[in-house]
Amino acid sequence: MAKTFPTQEIGSLPKFSWRTKPFRQMTLDDSDLETAKRWGERMDVPGTSRLLKILSKRADFSEAEKKEIVDFSLLYAIRMGETAGRGLSQHEGLDLVWSGEQARTEMYETPVSNIGGFEFIGKVRSFDNKYWRMASIRGSPSYQNNYHVEELLFTQKHAKRKVKVPVTDAITIMAWSDNHYYTAKWAREKVSPLKRSFNARREFTLELAKIIRKVIRELIASGVEEVQIDIPAATQYQSVDDMKLVAESFNETTKGLSATFSVHSCFPPRLGYAILFPQILEMKKCERFSFEYGNRDGYGRGVDDEARSGFADLKLFKEYGYDKGLGVGVLHIHTDKLPSVGVIKDRILYSAKVTGLDPEELYINPDCGLRTRKPEVAQRMLDLVVAGAEKARGDSAVK
Amino acid sequence: MAEFALSLTGLHARNEATIQATQDWERGRIDSGTLNAAFRADCDTLVALQKEVGADYISDGQLTTDWQDFLRPLTNGLDGVKKGAMVRWYNTNTFYYTPIVTGPISGNGDAIWSKVHRRFAKQGNFRISIPDPLTLSDLAEDHHYGSKEKLLFAYADALNIELRTLEKNGVSYVQFSSPALVARFREKAVSKEGLGQLGEAIRAATKGVSLRTGFHTIFGDASHYIPGIFDAIPTDDIGFDFTQTDPDSLSPTKKGIIAGIADARTTYLESLEELHGKVEQVLDRTGSKRITIAPSSDLRYVPRVSADAKLRRLGELKRELRGK
Repeated sequence: MAKTFPTQEIGSLPKFSWRTKPFRQMTLDDSDLETAKRWGERMDVPGTSRLLKILSKRADFSEAEKKEIVDFSLLYAIRMGETAGRGLSQHEGLDLVWSGEQARTEMYETPVSNIGGFEFIGKVRSFDNKYWRMASIRGSPSYQNNYHVEELLFTQKHAKRKVKVPVTDAITIMAWSDNHYYTAKWAREKVSPLKRSFNARREFTLELAKIIRKVIRELIASGVEEVQIDIPAATQYQSVDDMKLVAESFNETTKGLSATFSVHSCFPPRLGYAILFPQILEMKKCERFSFEYGNRDGYGRGVDDEARSGFADLKLFKEYGYDKGLGVGVLHIHTDKLPSVGVIKDRILYSAKVTGLDPEELYINPDCGLRTRKPEVAQRMLDLVVAGAEKARGDSAVK
Repeated sequence: MAEFALSLTGLHARNEATIQATQDWERGRIDSGTLNAAFRADCDTLVALQKEVGADYISDGQLTTDWQDFLRPLTNGLDGVKKGAMVRWYNTNTFYYTPIVTGPISGNGDAIWSKVHRRFAKQGNFRISIPDPLTLSDLAEDHHYGSKEKLLFAYADALNIELRTLEKNGVSYVQFSSPALVARFREKAVSKEGLGQLGEAIRAATKGVSLRTGFHTIFGDASHYIPGIFDAIPTDDIGFDFTQTDPDSLSPTKKGIIAGIADARTTYLESLEELHGKVEQVLDRTGSKRITIAPSSDLRYVPRVSADAKLRRLGELKRELRGK
């Protein structure tokens, strides 16, 4: 019998200071080593004495040592998922784990660093004092190497739970990049400005989709069974044509591939996820849509519409007759303010109620990747996911 | 004979030094004084560049942490409004915090003025961009008024007090930026009545002030509203994002035109010939006596070096246009 309210992380986890400093030519201090020791013990990470020995050098790490540091970082992230809920729930660990994108710079920079045709041009502000390093496409994009296969093989070797690999999709890479090449290409075409800009987006996206498909094909060949296609930019362009393009891009990316595919997206505009319907239902191979909801929700208890206003968009899936799986983001990831386990449970039960889906089809996760949180907060959030799901299981079984 | 002007249209990209300063400040490596000094220096550089290229109105680029998003000074500075969930800003990879309206919207007129680099305002040609009432009321979560119309006019009245303060302190130009009118769900246009109502809201926002005003439609196709927009919106200039709006859809008007001809969303640098062609189209279609050449929207969506390159190119175009 399948588990009800299975749990997962979305992708990224924070990097410890002992992971980042060696790559910034910074010297480690006592607190970095103490952190590595404390978290290693807390999460039963095997082989930490080796890590501590490497870190004790504090500076001037060789390339081989840096590689080992990254590997340990992957290991710590795997264990963070596998020990989530410890002390807060009876059974610890997420059901689907990943290695926290510890080997990646982040979800955009890593792919564009490994796809031909891009040049980094500078930082652009996303919100408040958060920026991303924008790359500009200056020619047709081309496959260069598989930028995820090594971390996948490592993760599969060391994870005790089922592994899901997140892969950034073509729409997102297109939307976060400077579309220089295709804008120039379409600039003089005798079509309307709207059509011109859409054509530039579409051509760029579909070229990228072919490359992402090749990356995923190799990941599947390396043994992964579940692939999460990350499309945070699915909600960026809001015309009907753009929504169709989101689905077209997904279908192009997964064409001819056989695996369990899920989609993650987050932070839509004011109108919410309604902008994606019904076009996203054309993503034929998508088995689960994992979206962010906790961000808009209140911190009070209750399983009615008013208490759970942040989860109202889940009703869309039922309205459109969707009957596959969903991932429910139950924790706002841009704040350290945490809800109680009871509120998480309420959010889960409300989600089950309004979607009408079997609890086996409702995965519970944070809203998004946790890379911007401190490790203590990220761990606590994963604890809440596991404990909240456990409590919801108890309640739904009673009912 | 048309007069050609040049202007920025909103928030500008931060330079690398300022970006670094904000990151250092967040990590506790520098204090607020050092951070503010970085913003001031950044602003000085931008103002100098605008003067160099011949901008007719000078913007401070709204380069402070108070403008973390385009709505933030009003979200933080007006009574009856508080900060809510983080939401995507139209078709960009940038985000704002939803204004939650919990009570009557009111203010002392200082919400915007207190967030300006004031030392430039006395120079006589200082401009600032603010959200239009429709964008504010569309994006706010209303827990008080219970009516979009009431919320629209509540924001308009609050903006009027802001504009009075800006004018009193020497600001010469206020641009209402309106993504809400044109960047709409499924491209469903606002009705003729809705456009008229927005016009009334702008009238309320500008009541009793004489500074020059503009209304710039960014991120979307405004052709649905032409020619009605020229009569409905009571600002001196009406602006169009010509990466979205076809210049051929324009019609004759006596108003000034903010011609958003330089694509603010890409580093692709349009040739003078391309830009010139668009200006010719605008002139041919509108017969306007005043064309302000401008970026299609704020230049915060590309790195600073590219944003400045766009501005320089517009400066070259202005010189060319005035030379002919």
